[in-house]
Amino acid sequence: MIKRITFLAQAFSWLALAATLGIILLFLGFLGVRGLDILSLALFFGNTPPWEAITGRLPVWHGIWPACVGTVALVLLSSLLAVPLGLASGIYLAHYASGSWKRWFSLAVELLAGIPSILMGLFGFALILFLKRTIVPQANTCLLLSAGCLALLVLPYLILMTQTALESLPDELKLAGLSLGFTPWQNIFHVLLPAAGRGILSGVILAVGRAAEDTAVILLTGVVANAGLPSGILGKYEALPFHIFYLAAEARSEAELAQGFGAALILLMLTAALFMGAYYLKSTFTKAWDHKDLLI
Amino acid sequence: MGPQGPVNLDPTVLVESLHVGFAGREVLHDLNAKFHRGRLAVILGRSGSGKTTFLRTLNRLNECFPQSETRGSLRLKLQGEWRDIYRDAMPLTELRRRVGMVFQTPHLLPVSIADNLALPVKLVLGLPRRDIPSRVAWVLKEAHLWEEVKDRLNAPAHTLSGGQQQRLCLARLLALEPEILLLDEPAASLDFRASLKVEELLLSIKDRYTIIAVSHSLSQARRLADEVLVFRDGAVVQQLSREELQAPDALQALLEEIF
Repeated sequence: MIKRITFLAQAFSWLALAATLGIILLFLGFLGVRGLDILSLALFFGNTPPWEAITGRLPVWHGIWPACVGTVALVLLSSLLAVPLGLASGIYLAHYASGSWKRWFSLAVELLAGIPSILMGLFGFALILFLKRTIVPQANTCLLLSAGCLALLVLPYLILMTQTALESLPDELKLAGLSLGFTPWQNIFHVLLPAAGRGILSGVILAVGRAAEDTAVILLTGVVANAGLPSGILGKYEALPFHIFYLAAEARSEAELAQGFGAALILLMLTAALFMGAYYLKSTFTKAWDHKDLLI
Repeated sequence: MGPQGPVNLDPTVLVESLHVGFAGREVLHDLNAKFHRGRLAVILGRSGSGKTTFLRTLNRLNECFPQSETRGSLRLKLQGEWRDIYRDAMPLTELRRRVGMVFQTPHLLPVSIADNLALPVKLVLGLPRRDIPSRVAWVLKEAHLWEEVKDRLNAPAHTLSGGQQQRLCLARLLALEPEILLLDEPAASLDFRASLKVEELLLSIKDRYTIIAVSHSLSQARRLADEVLVFRDGAVVQQLSREELQAPDALQALLEEIF
């Protein structure tokens, strides 16, 4: 009887694994078949000479280059806003907050994590309307607004990952720096943050990945279909996920639809590159610290 | 309480009716003890008898845990001056620098061998940059590590063996000019040979410091200790001098007491 259950459980696990792998392969295969053919310089730059397009001297009309630049700018700007704030909040929760403050703050972070991204977009939209009617009449949706809303969206991941990474360090390590006479801040900065680097890095990568692929937030806060290269943080911009969404909904020809698949493939590659970079960084961190763990 | 050792020794740590508890649960009850400079004291006892908690009262590290409570008098002679460390205002960082601690497992900073010593010296002592290399070299010699690491000072510290890491931790303390050393089973994670080297190092420096070590090994205590304190249920139940420790019947009694 027990043998039978074990067998069934094993069979089910294998089946689940095969199904997951199958779905991923099917998805990649589909994207590959539809998208690989179109991968070329023309996908990025259309009819514009690549160098002129990259330097921004000539506009790109039928390529996804502006969307790529827009997405990268968006990710960088939102990381710039979210990472320092997330790290600082995580440190606060792990080391300074206590009692009811900690409970309320944690609850707020969890609430923030539960907000759907379209609501975050609506919030940004409402915010800009409010600013327009009150103190800044010339305010409009823009790259900065999108980046700010995206930063809010990914902030809870950063906070929770930082907090968990710091709290799961061994007690003795937390005491080691203090026992040398380090101030709490010196201890955090020179001992605990480097030791928790792996976990924190995972949080950052997760957040960046999320910011790169989100469509709902930017939809309401500044992305447009044809803006060219972003003119600045207060200008409109294009982004890969929105470009895909737009082409999927309103493609006027086979060629445009094919471009949508190409863009999807590029977005996938971009995220894959991010995750591989993170994996590499993580494994070097692991080597540095696990070697020490082995000796314990 | 047993004999206190020769009277002409001058004590540096005086503990009187010390009570320590966490969240209302008392771990140390009415503990009294006395320690001297130049006499290495070893604390023996079952796990859970309060050995580590006692060590951590001496550098006020228990306060890093939630709802810790300390009562009683704990006086240390630092720079020739008696201080009740729970009453007289003394910056915590200053106290912890003068009362250094080594843990069961070596906890190094994720930087090079030299920087493991240089960083605390710079951050805690504020030594000028030009004085740091000589301090690093001096303290590595002091910790019997110089010959082993002098050619790879810039190698990552985690490439050292466990025993070397633990001696580097000791070196890191010594670099900060402490007066009292607290050792929490410093050889617990080491093999026999590596722990002998740590013991050798301790014996070579013990004259200049007040050393209080927790140990789980009776044979180690016999090799190291000038006096042994036996802890049970958060109090000192027996105290033996080096001479008493060598007598076979005392050893038998101690074995029964501890194990």
